[in-house]
Amino acid sequence: MKHVVTIRRKALAASEEHARTLRSRFADARALVLNLISSPGSGKTTLLERTVDRLADRCRLAVIEGDVATERDADRIRALGVPAHQVLTGGACHLDARQIETALETADLLPADILFIENVGNLICPTTYDLGEDFKVALLSVTEGDDKPFKYPAIFSRAEVTVITKSDLLPHVPFDMAAVTEHVASLNPGGTLLVLSSTTGDGMDAWCNLLLGRLADKRRS
Amino acid sequence: MHEMGIALEIYRTCRETVSQHGNGRLQHVKIAVGELAAVEPDLLAFGWEAVIADTIDDGATLEIEWCRADQRCPACDSAKERSEGSWLRLCPDCGTPLEVRGGDELDLLQISFETDDEDMSTTVGESA
Repeated sequence: MKHVVTIRRKALAASEEHARTLRSRFADARALVLNLISSPGSGKTTLLERTVDRLADRCRLAVIEGDVATERDADRIRALGVPAHQVLTGGACHLDARQIETALETADLLPADILFIENVGNLICPTTYDLGEDFKVALLSVTEGDDKPFKYPAIFSRAEVTVITKSDLLPHVPFDMAAVTEHVASLNPGGTLLVLSSTTGDGMDAWCNLLLGRLADKRRS
Repeated sequence: MHEMGIALEIYRTCRETVSQHGNGRLQHVKIAVGELAAVEPDLLAFGWEAVIADTIDDGATLEIEWCRADQRCPACDSAKERSEGSWLRLCPDCGTPLEVRGGDELDLLQISFETDDEDMSTTVGESA
């Protein structure tokens, strides 16, 4: 017997269902959750280390690290006394909601004020996968070239916050900050752009204030 | 993008639907892909072939309905064109953020399959 079934269902419905469950769980836990996305080497882990230095005595922090191999990143965070869980993706180039659920079951990460999810280093694939986060943060270091926003439009148009990292290296690289600012604004008119250096601390106050502000907003709503 | 992973999720949903009706084989699957979904149709078709190869559903065809995004400037009150593959968000004429509708579809639309029963009728139904 021939059957034709008409269905209007998102192809990634199963993943999205997991993300919805996570979002609800994070809301119940009153935790602000960020999904950090960037190329490998943009400074995600270092930014988290310096953020921990500045905020750990004011907020309860937790981190989920995503990597193809090694526990190096989670080890770095744990060394600072903050709970961190390493997801090893077994070759996959992005985290997905199911892995975040498993992480929460496996490690004592909640309750937390801010949960950082450091995604696998990759400017493309993580963009599409909802992890239940409050917002995505895209990192772009000044050594990567100022053409990247237009070359990778998906992430820069979807990340509510773009952080330009390694600003201390600006004198040594041909990075047109004005152009990048304009390009990111054209892809993401409502987004926020920050420029900072984890090494010198420049711009870190604005980053920390943004986090605290967003946490307060979430708790108010 | 993850065309292989997406092909796999589409296939799983199709297989589940077929299984709900008894022993069957997939024949044709129709999906909608938006131009801003960051999915490459050729790669998705390739991934589909790889996913169904050597299964009971080998040979099932995948039809991709391509969905364009509609971009409108609220200030100019007109539709704005952009070059193929670009992600323009500001009006090229006045700089106002554009209202973008559609273009991010990645939806399973219709599944056609054949089951091993005697009844010769054709059914059309809705599935959740």
